[in-house]
Amino acid sequence: MSAGALPYLKAISTRLLAGIPVFILVTFAATALSSLAPGSAAQLILGENASSQQIAELNAAYGYDLPVWERYFKWLGGVVQGDFGRTLFSQQSVAKLLVDRAAVTFEIAFLAMFVSFIIAVPLALYTASHPGKLLDTVLRSIASVLLSVPTFVTVVLLAYIFAIVLRWLPATGWENFSDDPLANLWYVTLPVLCLAPHQTAYLYRVARGEFLATLQEDFVTVARAKGMPLSYILLRHVLRPSLPQVLTVLGLSMTYLLGGSFIVESYFAVPGIGWTILSAVNSHDFPVVQAILSLTVAIFVVIFILVDLGYTLIDPRVDVS
Amino acid sequence: MTGARSRKPAGKPVADPQSLSEAVAAARPRLSRLRLPGGTPVEAVCAAFLLLLVLLALFVDFIPGLASPNFPYGDFSQPPDLTLNGILGTDAIGRSILSRVLYGARTSISIVFFATLISLGFGLLFGMVAGFYRGSVERAVDLYANTMASLPPILVILALVASTGSSVFTITVALGILDIGTYARVAKGGVISQSNRDYILAARAMGASDARLLLKEILPNLVPALTAIVPTLMAGLIITEGSLSFLGYGIPAPAPSWGGMIASSTDLLSRYPLLIFGPVLAIVITVYALNTVGDYFARRLSSRERQG
Amino acid sequence: MAASPEPTTVLACEGICCHLPAEPRPVQVLHGISFSVSRRTSLGIVGESGAGKSMLIKTIMGLNPTARITGTVRLDGTDVASLAEKKRNAVIGRKVGIVFQNPMTSLNPFVRVGRQIEEHARYHLGLSRREAKERAIELLRVVGIADPEECYSFYPHHFSGGMKQRIMIATALACEPDLLIADEATTALDVTVQKEILDLLQVIQEERQMAMILVTHNLGIVAGRTDEVLVLYGGHVVEHGPTDRVFATPRHRYTAALLSAMPQLDQPAHTRLATIPGQPPNLANAPKGCPFAPRCPVATADCHETMPVMTVSADGRHRFACHFPVAAGAEAAP
Repeated sequence: MSAGALPYLKAISTRLLAGIPVFILVTFAATALSSLAPGSAAQLILGENASSQQIAELNAAYGYDLPVWERYFKWLGGVVQGDFGRTLFSQQSVAKLLVDRAAVTFEIAFLAMFVSFIIAVPLALYTASHPGKLLDTVLRSIASVLLSVPTFVTVVLLAYIFAIVLRWLPATGWENFSDDPLANLWYVTLPVLCLAPHQTAYLYRVARGEFLATLQEDFVTVARAKGMPLSYILLRHVLRPSLPQVLTVLGLSMTYLLGGSFIVESYFAVPGIGWTILSAVNSHDFPVVQAILSLTVAIFVVIFILVDLGYTLIDPRVDVS
Repeated sequence: MTGARSRKPAGKPVADPQSLSEAVAAARPRLSRLRLPGGTPVEAVCAAFLLLLVLLALFVDFIPGLASPNFPYGDFSQPPDLTLNGILGTDAIGRSILSRVLYGARTSISIVFFATLISLGFGLLFGMVAGFYRGSVERAVDLYANTMASLPPILVILALVASTGSSVFTITVALGILDIGTYARVAKGGVISQSNRDYILAARAMGASDARLLLKEILPNLVPALTAIVPTLMAGLIITEGSLSFLGYGIPAPAPSWGGMIASSTDLLSRYPLLIFGPVLAIVITVYALNTVGDYFARRLSSRERQG
Repeated sequence: MAASPEPTTVLACEGICCHLPAEPRPVQVLHGISFSVSRRTSLGIVGESGAGKSMLIKTIMGLNPTARITGTVRLDGTDVASLAEKKRNAVIGRKVGIVFQNPMTSLNPFVRVGRQIEEHARYHLGLSRREAKERAIELLRVVGIADPEECYSFYPHHFSGGMKQRIMIATALACEPDLLIADEATTALDVTVQKEILDLLQVIQEERQMAMILVTHNLGIVAGRTDEVLVLYGGHVVEHGPTDRVFATPRHRYTAALLSAMPQLDQPAHTRLATIPGQPPNLANAPKGCPFAPRCPVATADCHETMPVMTVSADGRHRFACHFPVAAGAEAAP
């Protein structure tokens, strides 16, 4: 078993190594930017009436008076030991804060992805095998319209319909799954509904294109010539060969989903990382911004490791190396 | 055509089928003639809409009778009526929503236009150098593109705008930074695929300088691939700019912006739901038109590549 | 059921016409094709790319869902063209085995070859998993795959092109079909492998007493391997007869030109003619008269204007459509 796992470990570590330059670029750029910010953090903490001596003391205490390079290496040294610093005002551990907040965002994002996958892939499979038919035309038109509706518009409209007019779902608030699963479901539904349409339309489009291309393959013609029924051909010969591409797009769309969840969280006051970064940006809480940027890059790297592993499961031709 | 034929009054004597179909063809609605080469009527309408929007944005100051976007023109929160300024209603302090949508279009379009110039310019420069000389420039371009792909655009913009403060200038630059990597990557790919072609080898053999090769021989061949992605990326910028304004980090008030108008009308949504439609329709139709025109370009490009 | 064909006739096609949807008007790619194949005999269908060979096979197999098709296709006496799609697919899939041109793309890289060989046998014949596996392994052995038990569970990328084509032959045989169609089955292979595959097809056809159709652009493949040959040009049958007779005394100008050009057979294929999907304008603006007239050395104004009718030889076995056939002198000797 361990011999079999070794190539996987190697593939994973290659991906991880490739992520390091991205991580350094992002976090260093963020450090450099934070020194451009108008009005120092110390000013913000101490208020308008602080004396210049107080400000200097606080700057020295937090290291804000150091040059960008030194501040960055100081931060990086902490990160290596798992220390992302403390929040500016409440002095909480940033790492601990983000673990809770990220769980919320992940729940919303993964549920949205799951819902869109369940809806988009079967519809795409069916319409790709009946191109030009009414349902195909209708769904393609719906998809292009949904792709043109920004998340902040979806949020406003669905909140109006479900929370204000119908009063089925709460407009704001949150309950953790571990505290109360039912209440969690109650609060998570509207955020997920808001993220799902765009994601579904996007996935539908990509999957339909992939299925259409696979349906042109010679081996599908062979299966048709063998007299196999369409449903069998779709499930056995079309679905799996198309999945690797769909999976890649799914991975890439994760950043879009995260961006969308920022909007959703801020609108519904859901305590995820999007909501957190908005308040951190407001209060110039640099350690939090920095940690969220790091987390986002890390998520991306992990997602693509998962996509790679997915390839090896789906495609028998892919060797782990 | 079939529709027109079936609506033919039953009482009239039936003409012979040949001339009837000719007559129907001659009377066919103009819509089917309104086409981009190889495109559908919808694509033509979208292109026409974008043209109209640009013209409106450019000449919005000269529209006779249009109220100022920043000063109250009538009672607050009026539902839509049939006057020019009231056709989309008035907002919470009585400003004309139509006027604000049109001036918002001007802001959005100019921001997105200049942001695209920035990213297209730098993307082309870095992409061409990366594709031509490869090596460390190529690695840098790839790193940049990967980095931008791994971060949600709104996060990048928020981080930038939070540090520099939000003004039309900083937002334009921040949006411009987003897509440099995408354009650079497309340009790079184009240069790499072009530089092994015979005509480049021939030009090189004749002693053409690198600059000449890049600008005179390769650059014109990059144009189709780059223009094909411009509308779609512009649509993305419109959405990002709108999200930024919606979150309250966009162009400072009182300048009108679509995202900001949507954000402010949400407070009144339960009492005046109709007032949100102006800015919502503006942004959705604009993004739809850009996406559709982008799809058209992409389809033309791929059919050209298949033939060539 | 109308007058049933003679019992040994496996496939009988009558007046097949096929129009493909196109702008501004549909394009006719097959013009009234008729022929039949009997058990234990083989037919060669010859033509350049664009002549309509593949269209003809697709039409017979019902693989042209967008085309408008007329004419009858009788398979073991059943008019399959008139059946509902689902029924038709089942009948054809059960009774016809087909091997396509490109073995590299004919096998699904995501599915083990064993399943690809046996799936339609399980579906049409209701074989159990074990019976199907036994049959698939046996077929792998028949087509000359070493270690069939092991190869049964391999994925296609483990095999070379020639091996893949052998697997495709095994697939085609899985339902014990009455008709085996090889649609350019050796074109994509190396010359030495081509011969092996053709020999294998011939042996299998004789052993299993099937009817066989060899579709090819290469006259050399048809010679000596088929009983009859059907020459297609521009979607028309231009000549049809016993293979040795067509080769010895071709009557149509096109067949004659093809035969005299046999050493450089590939040349005309690349000079003027176009394939159907690539450049339909040629078919869309098909000449009114003989399709070969524009290239024919002896064509007259009449050839360009009127379509020649099919002339049938005295014994009824050799037919051709030409206004000015090659001198019939040699035809006396059967």
